[in-house]
Amino acid sequence: MNSQRKVCAFMAAIVISIANLAALAQQQPLDRTKVPTAGATPVLRVPTWTKTQLTNGATLIVSERHNLPLVSFTMTFVGGSNQFEPAGRRGVASLTASMLSEGTTTKTGDQLSDALQLLGTNVGAGIGGEEGTISFVSTTKNFDATLAILADMMLNSTFPAEALERLRARTLVNLTQAKDQPVVIGSQVFAKILYGDAHPYGQRTTEASVKAITRDEVVAFQKAYYQSGRAIITVVGDVTPAQVKATVEKGLAAWAKAGDKPSFDYPKLPELQPAKIYLVDKPGAAQSVFNIGLPGPPRNTPDYFALQVLNTILGGQFQSRLNANIREQKGYSYGVNSGFNYGKGPGAFRAGGSIFTAKTDAALIEFMQELKGIAGEKPITDEEIKTAKEALIQGLPQRFASVSAISNAITSLVVQGLPDDYYQTYAKNVSAITKEDLLRVAKRYIDLNHLYIVIVGDRSTVEGPLKATNIAPITYIDIEGNPAAPATPPSN
Amino acid sequence: MTTKPRVLSALARVLTIALAQPLMGQKKNSHSLKIPFETYKLPNGLTVILSEDHTTPTVAVDVWYHVGSKNETAGRTGFAHLFEHVMFTGSGHVPYGLHDKLTEGVGGGNNGSTTNDRTNYFETIPSNYLESALWLEADRMGFLLDKLDIAKLNAQRDVVKNERRQSYDNQPYGRVSEILSAAMYPKGHPYSWPVIGSMDDLTAASEEDVKAFFRLYYATNNATLAVVGDFDPAQTKAWIQKYFTDLPKGQTVQRPSVPLGKLAASKRLVYEDRVQVPRLYIQWPSIGFKNEDGYALAVMSSILSGPRTARLTKALVYDSQKASQVFGFQNSSEDVGVFQVVVVPRPEATLTELEAAVDQVLQKFIAEGPTAEEVQKAKSGLELNFLRGLESNLGKAEQLITGSAFFGNPGQFSTDYQKTLAVTAADVKRVANQYLTRSRIVLSVVPKGKKDQAAKATESETVSMLDGKRRGGRS
Repeated sequence: MNSQRKVCAFMAAIVISIANLAALAQQQPLDRTKVPTAGATPVLRVPTWTKTQLTNGATLIVSERHNLPLVSFTMTFVGGSNQFEPAGRRGVASLTASMLSEGTTTKTGDQLSDALQLLGTNVGAGIGGEEGTISFVSTTKNFDATLAILADMMLNSTFPAEALERLRARTLVNLTQAKDQPVVIGSQVFAKILYGDAHPYGQRTTEASVKAITRDEVVAFQKAYYQSGRAIITVVGDVTPAQVKATVEKGLAAWAKAGDKPSFDYPKLPELQPAKIYLVDKPGAAQSVFNIGLPGPPRNTPDYFALQVLNTILGGQFQSRLNANIREQKGYSYGVNSGFNYGKGPGAFRAGGSIFTAKTDAALIEFMQELKGIAGEKPITDEEIKTAKEALIQGLPQRFASVSAISNAITSLVVQGLPDDYYQTYAKNVSAITKEDLLRVAKRYIDLNHLYIVIVGDRSTVEGPLKATNIAPITYIDIEGNPAAPATPPSN
Repeated sequence: MTTKPRVLSALARVLTIALAQPLMGQKKNSHSLKIPFETYKLPNGLTVILSEDHTTPTVAVDVWYHVGSKNETAGRTGFAHLFEHVMFTGSGHVPYGLHDKLTEGVGGGNNGSTTNDRTNYFETIPSNYLESALWLEADRMGFLLDKLDIAKLNAQRDVVKNERRQSYDNQPYGRVSEILSAAMYPKGHPYSWPVIGSMDDLTAASEEDVKAFFRLYYATNNATLAVVGDFDPAQTKAWIQKYFTDLPKGQTVQRPSVPLGKLAASKRLVYEDRVQVPRLYIQWPSIGFKNEDGYALAVMSSILSGPRTARLTKALVYDSQKASQVFGFQNSSEDVGVFQVVVVPRPEATLTELEAAVDQVLQKFIAEGPTAEEVQKAKSGLELNFLRGLESNLGKAEQLITGSAFFGNPGQFSTDYQKTLAVTAADVKRVANQYLTRSRIVLSVVPKGKKDQAAKATESETVSMLDGKRRGGRS
């Protein structure tokens, strides 16, 4: 802190002379066409952290940040529903996580809730495809008390049967409501078409799976899943490592040593199919929801940095090629983008967005042109590469802007098996990417001959124009991703 | 990572809610929660707020224009929001695309949002790009119209129409806020039309209409600039002087007094949507955020819904289990506000039953008021929210600028905090009696062809919506 102030005082002296110069310059009319030059790139300040093991085997990471009296606590479990849910029981992971707040051996669900409300906070629990978390953000003074409630929820839940029925009913209503959401339908169908029913990436919670789950299965899932051997505890904020270690050891003393990190062996992907349009009918829809892509590489691919630069140019930003063309130049959409969904397995490359129904065919032509373009037909310029790299490198500090952001930034390194100096070496790795690298990864991962083009829209309006583009044959599927009933003749 | 649609309507909503719930900050005897700031005015009327925070080497630049959809006129709606788009398309000395390049292209971001009351524009940037961000904001404040032609206008008009399709027309329940505003306020009332405007008005707007709107409302004397983060104050003031000081002052903006919403009698409406699950909306006219009852209404919002022991949540979602979800909240704008309850039913429950269940909870609450513990729980939650809002430069900028633009005091959040802390159970009981007993609107949204699923279906009047306009029903 002190040394920083000294620097500031020194800077102030320089600045005053700069200000005088500016005042002088003011005498002449200001040339507003002159783009101000940027100052020196600020030194990257990556938060530091300590990493230790608890006696029960869990990893403990602590990072200090004292600007506000806040603490973020996150317990991350490596592995998720894809690794731990039994066949035909999709949804049991989420239900189990929700059940943690329904009561413990000493407190009812209402009592847990009241206690947390008085502490001003809430403990959130969720399980995704490849990892789960239990977390809270509290004031510094309420940290110990909140941690005690979290431990009680995780270790002593009673899983009342009536609560399970209530949560099951709520999940069923949510599933029904999802059928009205074209964007949700689009991403679900896209996953199913790319990965098929046999691959966890293609599966999802269904009404049938939710109805089949029993209380015994929830209890068993809790026992099998929440184990210390696969837990990473990340604490960020107004605390010290020594103090946190003592508090966490004490708070989780009853948590026995057990379990291990799972392996992430996914089944083989279905064979890639020739490019095809999969059209889902949504009668009367004002927009067509596009998802275009195919399975991609896992997070640990050596091509990661090249793909990050590539996607920044193609569809990661507002002025990326896709949005600059389809939204800004053509006005077909409120926004389109692209991205790689990185995980332990072959996450998808996907480009898409919501398109004005009347421009469905025109937008598809533009999407295809941009994808062909990035794969070589419209060569990537030096200027594009420079901007993309700068955006990525200078964007790093934003990942350290809050206690939860810092927590995510550090935890993801451990979960994905990345080195501790990942952020320090990030700029070097991004800078090293060449134009040749970009062309190579574009050709490899954006395979134009095997694109799955999923469009959710008003079939009677868009079918004819889509056919006329001659981009790919059309297959008709329903909102579950199954073959749709034979075509009703278009009304016009 | 994803392309950010400009005009986060979600952000606009969050901001409205933030205002609806005057947040709390400092603990007694704690000084760490204060936002240190400095404020001054340029001779041309531009208000400037500076607040240093060197935690990360980034800065937020936030500009508010005190203009929103309520400053539009009937038949020419959607202009404030349309400008939010046009403002990113280049200005006198800034070619199209450079704004994004100097923000997103250098690892930062930019966006804007529009409400009924104000429009904000912001950049979050690495601190070495502060000067260019100030240059960009000054240029569009002073020289936007130099480069605005009909082609540019048409392109953004198309984008806005797509935004409307995406966020309203193609969205289940997406038309609800329009229906409720049109029913709550008389025809021509500045809060009676949606922020995004109607398709017809967007189509009809001429280049001159749009330019006249800009000249009146987007001048220095109707704007506030906040810079928050890692910057040097002397240098920054010099840059602000350099780029903003010779921008001309605009006409004085007239702010007509806007009447509060008031219903002579309760209304019952039913709207058929492309949905499978019906929903119930109940809305009472209340007050805008300058009215001090807002503090008690914010506390009441937290007591009625949210955590499982909140009144409505416990009764409807946990005890009777007639609802899958329920929300109750005060939504305040500058001049008007509403208290709203939304219920998502379980399949076996009817909207008629749910309306009765809501009323039963509210009648008891109105009669008895909250317990001391309920008030304390609500305040604890609001306190943590406030602290978390101070984590980001932009969050702080929004707090300071909200106070400055609406209350003439960037430190208004401290007052809000103190007054929220002072709310008593008796205050909450009083506002419950005052506002929740008024005439109200009950809107049932039901699946197509299922009007019989409405709450008290036979007493409900049908609303139909077509092409961004409300047809039929009342004004």
